[in-house]
Amino acid sequence: MHISEGVLSPGVLIVGAGLTAAGVAVGLRKLETEEIPSVGILSAAFFVASLVHVPVGPASVHLILNGLLGLMLGWKAFPAILVGLALQALLFQFGGITTLGVNTLNMALPAVICCYLFKWGIRTGTRRLVFSLTAFACGCCAVFLGSVLVGFSLYLTGEAFLPAAKLIVAAHIPVMVIEGILTAACAVFLRRVKPELLEGAYVPKLSSYPQNGEG
Amino acid sequence: MCQNCHRTHRMVRGRPRFVWLLFTALWLVFFNAPALAHKVTIFAWVEGDTVHTQSKFSGGKRVKNSTVVVYDKEGNQLLEGKTDEKGEFSFKVPKKTNLKVVLKTSMGHMAEWKISAEEITAVADVSRNSTAEVGVKAATEEAARLSTDVKASRELSVPTVVVSLRRQEVQDLIDESLDRKFAPIVNMLIDSIDRGPRVTEVIGGIGYIFGLVGVALYFANRRRKE
Repeated sequence: MHISEGVLSPGVLIVGAGLTAAGVAVGLRKLETEEIPSVGILSAAFFVASLVHVPVGPASVHLILNGLLGLMLGWKAFPAILVGLALQALLFQFGGITTLGVNTLNMALPAVICCYLFKWGIRTGTRRLVFSLTAFACGCCAVFLGSVLVGFSLYLTGEAFLPAAKLIVAAHIPVMVIEGILTAACAVFLRRVKPELLEGAYVPKLSSYPQNGEG
Repeated sequence: MCQNCHRTHRMVRGRPRFVWLLFTALWLVFFNAPALAHKVTIFAWVEGDTVHTQSKFSGGKRVKNSTVVVYDKEGNQLLEGKTDEKGEFSFKVPKKTNLKVVLKTSMGHMAEWKISAEEITAVADVSRNSTAEVGVKAATEEAARLSTDVKASRELSVPTVVVSLRRQEVQDLIDESLDRKFAPIVNMLIDSIDRGPRVTEVIGGIGYIFGLVGVALYFANRRRKE
């Protein structure tokens, strides 16, 4: 998922960096003081997740967790992912500094899209099965969209779109399944122990504790 | 149900974060065994007149069926090939210059390895002598032996020819045996070149993030106080 340095053309890099800057600005504007720690924790989770290697499939792929970040942070996934990727580039040499913008966009944009697509299901009021299924779909879709975006970035630099995208999506199928399960497990767990964290993503100032959704 | 309500109430604000930390720590311990990730590396070394390359994802999985392109110093493409099942690709040295071996995989990953000209010139000379001019060498060798049999003192040039040939032979032998002796070391280098992320770096990264959170909270609090 991390595009290396020297692969993309300068135009793509600049556009990616610009869009990422816009996304980060939106995310930071929406960031409330109380949410800073949870954004940090999720950023750390994202940073570490790339070390969890999925040994299935033709290539070497790893967890991304952008579905989970989107679900819990919405637009704030942009700054969280940017920080995680910057540290991965500096410490692990994954991706690179010049490709930071494009890579952030490729992972954070799906997170935001999935947040808008699936937020209706992630409520304490919804039934448990529907809740878990939407969380699963959110995790899956975020990885899928991310792979398509990587394919698209490569296409803009001159690679044929369909073969590249097909290959990347195929390589990430195991990751999609695992991330779906993981996102669902985290969401169900959080619903039980700390529902306001999930609600916080899209109902910013909801301070009441909804207890009717339990059981 | 009642139990759940009770637990929800009892949860202190900081506690789920602890659970989070625990999760990540568990991952680190259980999945991180071979410290794998998403990066490719290529390593190239010269052996005789051939350059061998080996391509890997970090963590050791071989990069199969990917394109390897060789450029010279000026950036002209010299040749191109595909890695095999073991992630290896070998080619004959096309030209004595600084070579740049670039690995391109289909998912936007790229890696390169540079071979300096000195490394190649030394080897390319030897290889030319040992392959193309074997016949000539054998012939001159024989001639030299004959002439030494006749009498070495008659001509001055003959002994020098003998010496240079011997030197060439010795050079070949040394190169051969060095290649053999260095094989394990080269292999060791190949293994060590894709050092995955270490635990210290992982913990350092997490520390950075928490530090950033602290800085952000500090400024947020200051703003609120004002």
